[in-house]
Amino acid sequence: MKNGSRLAALGGVVVAGALALSACGSDNNAGTDASNAPTGKVDCVKGTVNAAGASSQKNAIEEWKKIYAQQCAGATLNYNPAGSGAGIQAFLAGQVSFAGSDSALDAEEAPKAQQRCQGNPAWNLPMVVGPVAVIYNLQGVDGLQLKPETLASIFAGKIKKWNDPAIAKDNPDAQLPDNDIKPIHRADESGTTENFTDYLGNVAGDVWKWEAEKKWPTEAGGQGAPKSDGVVTVLKQTQGGISYVEMSFATKNSLQTAKIANGAGEFVEVSEQSVGSALDGAKIVGQGNDLAMELDYNTKTAGAYPIFLVTYEVVCSKGLPADQAQFVKAFLKYTASEDGQKVLTEAGYAPLSDGLATKVRASIEALS
Amino acid sequence: MSVKGAELELKSLPRVSARRRMADRTVQSLVYAAFVIAIIPLVSVLWMVVTRGMERLDLDFLTFSMNGLSSSDEGGGANHAIVGTLQQVGLTAVMAVPLGILTGVYLVEYGGNSRLARVITFFVDVMTGIPSIVAGLFILAFWLLALGFEYSGFAGALALAILMMPTVVRATEEMLKLVPNDLREASYALGVPRWRTICFVVLPTALTGIVTGVMLAVARVMGETAPLLLLVFITDAINSNPFEGPQGSLPTFIWYQAGDPNPQAIERAWAAALTLILIIMLLNLGARLLARLRKPVSR
Repeated sequence: MKNGSRLAALGGVVVAGALALSACGSDNNAGTDASNAPTGKVDCVKGTVNAAGASSQKNAIEEWKKIYAQQCAGATLNYNPAGSGAGIQAFLAGQVSFAGSDSALDAEEAPKAQQRCQGNPAWNLPMVVGPVAVIYNLQGVDGLQLKPETLASIFAGKIKKWNDPAIAKDNPDAQLPDNDIKPIHRADESGTTENFTDYLGNVAGDVWKWEAEKKWPTEAGGQGAPKSDGVVTVLKQTQGGISYVEMSFATKNSLQTAKIANGAGEFVEVSEQSVGSALDGAKIVGQGNDLAMELDYNTKTAGAYPIFLVTYEVVCSKGLPADQAQFVKAFLKYTASEDGQKVLTEAGYAPLSDGLATKVRASIEALS
Repeated sequence: MSVKGAELELKSLPRVSARRRMADRTVQSLVYAAFVIAIIPLVSVLWMVVTRGMERLDLDFLTFSMNGLSSSDEGGGANHAIVGTLQQVGLTAVMAVPLGILTGVYLVEYGGNSRLARVITFFVDVMTGIPSIVAGLFILAFWLLALGFEYSGFAGALALAILMMPTVVRATEEMLKLVPNDLREASYALGVPRWRTICFVVLPTALTGIVTGVMLAVARVMGETAPLLLLVFITDAINSNPFEGPQGSLPTFIWYQAGDPNPQAIERAWAAALTLILIIMLLNLGARLLARLRKPVSR
């Protein structure tokens, strides 16, 4: 009997401890953060919404949801940066309210999305412009310059040494070491990969023979790493490594980025401005409020950086439960607003061009 | 006389030859070396986690969530993850432990060599080998997609229960087999019915072992990440209702923070790993204590 009461006491202590721990817990981190990002007025819709998708826009979403929650206590957005492929899967299965994706829904996914939205079409809304930076880790060589063919040959495994004549030709002044080139790519399905391989296939078709896909072509070789964060982590540890990643990851981690030659043969540093110039050459191919875009990788505009991706939020035009629909609309309204887009610049992305932003806002107004 | 006897004895037991002594020493040192090699990973992992985890493990870390912080911000904590993990594993144990122990009791006390018992044993063996992601996918397809439930801590607990149950069954079965048959017979001889024998003689005798087995099972499921990612989703805010909406959990918190290249996030990941180890250690200590308290009864 005595033992029994001791057991009960022990159990009581454990339960009390657990309760105390959860009771003291606080969601209020306001004091610990001194964010000076511009905040704007938001339409406040309280509630919890789940979303998943492109890890390339993770940094943007984190900032947005932080500011949105500061303005609107009780609004929680859970964004799982599982990759564009996983995000669209979860969206089609009805598990998340919207998906972030680096590429618009394809012909196979669109009808499934319509089914998921109770028969209403899903729209691709461009929200974040992400320049794809070519990042490398090579001590003593800053400002590496690469022509598209050279870049494609490196990632196709045809150029294996940093002092290869092709690289030397692009960089007449650099001291290139006799190191192996170690290309690193995304191991998971990624919209960044799809855009990057699409770019390579478009500008260097005779070297890069693979289709643009979310999954890196295995025959091209190289080392895989999961997610944008993983690529950065592996590159930091790999002397002689080269990879591609959304620009914000390069800026946040102060990595070396390569200058890429555009359609006019001009070597351009990746930056918000150089991508803005290129964005003007992109065409909208979606119908009506669907704003899927086709990018011009061979842009000849002066000072235009050729490799960038447009990250879409894939949303139901109609057909979400009312509370989720209101939250999604209010949140996206904020992210597409001028204040929302200003946040992007600080996070290392490029904002939407004015003309495009206006169209996106009009589409968001049409959501219901 | 006695001196002579001792001398005789020495002669009859000749000194161990140098070769044999060398062999003895060699094997001994090999065994020690093997022991040290086996212990190195354990110690270095612990050392690493403790030294790096201590940097951020403070009261703030235990009491604040990550709500409203991005991964590059300082501060923040894992309270949402700790609450989530405790609740999910608690629910898991509530489901898996009684089921597992009762199955174990059936197999040893009632099943004997019957067909049903053999089938159960076979399937428990199969279940032991189920990779955690498969359990996760099963619940995803069954609970979330087919039945249409939302992400919740409970969905994660269901998958963890699948992983935990076979371990509990196995531990219970092995421990009950160790209980001497004499004890059961003595109890029957006194006219005690079978169910009372099991409840008051067999189970208390095997309690220490069963508790240890259950704790091992708890420790195993507490570190599972994959099913939780699929079923519980992730959130930065505290959600103390495991039946509705996404919850945090320590493994997914570690996974998420460790994958982030920001040093602040990495620090949080180490601290969370240390927290997880500490929780498991506390549970183990608690179980040991419990077993020690019960011991005099069974002897």
